[in-house]
Amino acid sequence: MSRWEDELAPVRRALADAARREVDELGEATGRETEALAVRARADATELLDAARADGAAAGHAAAALVAARARREAHRVVLAERERLRVELVDRVVQAAAGLRDGPDYPALVARLEEVCRERLGPMAEVSPAPGGGVVAARGTRRLDLSLPLLAEQAALAVLEEADDPWS
Amino acid sequence: MTAQTARIGFGDVRELRGPLLVVGDVDGVGWDEFATIDLPDGSVRHGLVLEVDGDLAVLQVLEGTDAISPGGVWVRFSGRPLQVRVGPDWYGRVCNGRGEPLDGGPPIAGEPRPVAGWPLNPTRREPPREAVLTGVSVLDTLTTLVRGQKLPIFSVPGMPHLTLATQIAARATTAGEGFRVVFAGMGLTHADIAYVRDRLEERSAAGELVLLLNAADDPVIERVLTPRIALTVAEHLAFERGDDVLVVMSDMTSYAEAVREVAAARREIPARRGYPGYLYSDLAGLYERCGRIQGRPGSVTVVPVLTMPAGDITHPVPDLTGYITEGQVVLAPEVAARGVYPPVDVLSSLSRLMRSGAGPGRTRDDHLPVAAQVLAALARARQAAELGELVGVSALSETDRAYLAFRETVERDLFAQGTDEGRELADSLDRAWAALDVLPRRELTMLPAAMVAEHLGSP
Repeated sequence: MSRWEDELAPVRRALADAARREVDELGEATGRETEALAVRARADATELLDAARADGAAAGHAAAALVAARARREAHRVVLAERERLRVELVDRVVQAAAGLRDGPDYPALVARLEEVCRERLGPMAEVSPAPGGGVVAARGTRRLDLSLPLLAEQAALAVLEEADDPWS
Repeated sequence: MTAQTARIGFGDVRELRGPLLVVGDVDGVGWDEFATIDLPDGSVRHGLVLEVDGDLAVLQVLEGTDAISPGGVWVRFSGRPLQVRVGPDWYGRVCNGRGEPLDGGPPIAGEPRPVAGWPLNPTRREPPREAVLTGVSVLDTLTTLVRGQKLPIFSVPGMPHLTLATQIAARATTAGEGFRVVFAGMGLTHADIAYVRDRLEERSAAGELVLLLNAADDPVIERVLTPRIALTVAEHLAFERGDDVLVVMSDMTSYAEAVREVAAARREIPARRGYPGYLYSDLAGLYERCGRIQGRPGSVTVVPVLTMPAGDITHPVPDLTGYITEGQVVLAPEVAARGVYPPVDVLSSLSRLMRSGAGPGRTRDDHLPVAAQVLAALARARQAAELGELVGVSALSETDRAYLAFRETVERDLFAQGTDEGRELADSLDRAWAALDVLPRRELTMLPAAMVAEHLGSP
């Protein structure tokens, strides 16, 4: 062994020791990082799973709420439709009952009163003629007054129903 | 039958122009008078008198003039302005923008009231007081809505404002009994209408909701009437029956566009961006109908939703609305981009009457200081974020990084919530405290030390 090799031996040892230490440190750091990564990955996975569970539960809850809401709406619709059917039937009956007035003993007096109203509103020159369903229709120029019995009966029935605070109770 | 109630039909239809019908040879007709238009096929439409000049009357046909030809049309004037029947029969009902049933039921029964209504007499107004809790954390905590207040939501197209509006309508409540909601949807697509009905079904079934839905393809004049009908119904329920009524109106920009369209048909002189010059007073005439009245128990609170075209807050509709209302809630796309629902830009939002409804004796003692501290911290977090964009987050101070962490926490744990989720105010405030715990204690300068110690413990 030459002299210079002897002299360099401590340097070599020092370098080799430093390299070993670095390898050890790198190994430890890698181990720590791997561990940390694994912990983070596990945490992420748990978080994702929890989020997915929560999303699934929320979606299920929303879907159930929607189905329940639609069922309630359908039930409400049935009730309202029945109320509307009864309302239409009531108005029809009032209109039919009004048509029956034509056969009554007071009908000529009623027509006379309606003709009077026509002349009051449209003037004495108004042409008054009997309406097909009873009552009268008057016209003068571009103006018209419809006092036919079906129309009057319908308007009266609708007004009563609309004014009532709760006609269904 | 008397001579006064017999209604003459006028058949001299001179012109049909867009939604307008001009009829001649009339007398005794007044402005804003309601009219019935009998068509030759036996069907009936309705109209409002816009102008009277000599023996000519110009009517706006509510259902539009499609398929009407001048011959055989008879116009009967009612001798009164447009009225709507008001009363408890409205609860649980779904109607179109004119107040006609969409749910297959009979017409609404009750007492007639003019739709135009009147703003409250200022001398009889009672200042708004007591909170309306919406169940939405960010609103209840930082921009508390107060009974009798008008607080608009400013949004931009594409944002979930309808989701938020329906969430508020479905969840809002006050401390007392008798809280009711009137939801007026204007210019909604049919898909949106189905969505609104689904979202509000529970409250509707409970008989606490009135739903007025004007579709995008309905005649524009109907859209002009919708908020007026909603407010007329609400006024009766509030001031004559004593209920606390929340009126949610979405979307007021669509309403203003209908006003513009009608004004153009009437050949009125356009002002800013084609809207009529009276848009301000028109909007004020709606918004000022809310409030509380001395000696009466109920209240009308209004939450109008409006979309700002291209996000332009200087657009006439948000601009004029901002003059009249008492604050605003602003939805921001950049908040939505961070995945936060509801995407409220809290630093641009404000409830001017919050102090009348929140704090000791109203909500919770710590409410106002916590709100102030959260807002201050968010303002500082925004500065820190801007600085971080320039120099990198790692170059920020420890304190600035804490503020960024606070913003993330407060957005995730307090602001963000499910679209169907309703949160108690106490829960929201506790979440706010938990978020504030992220900050160093020395930064909590707006909170009394005792309050901090009570909620966060000793440092």
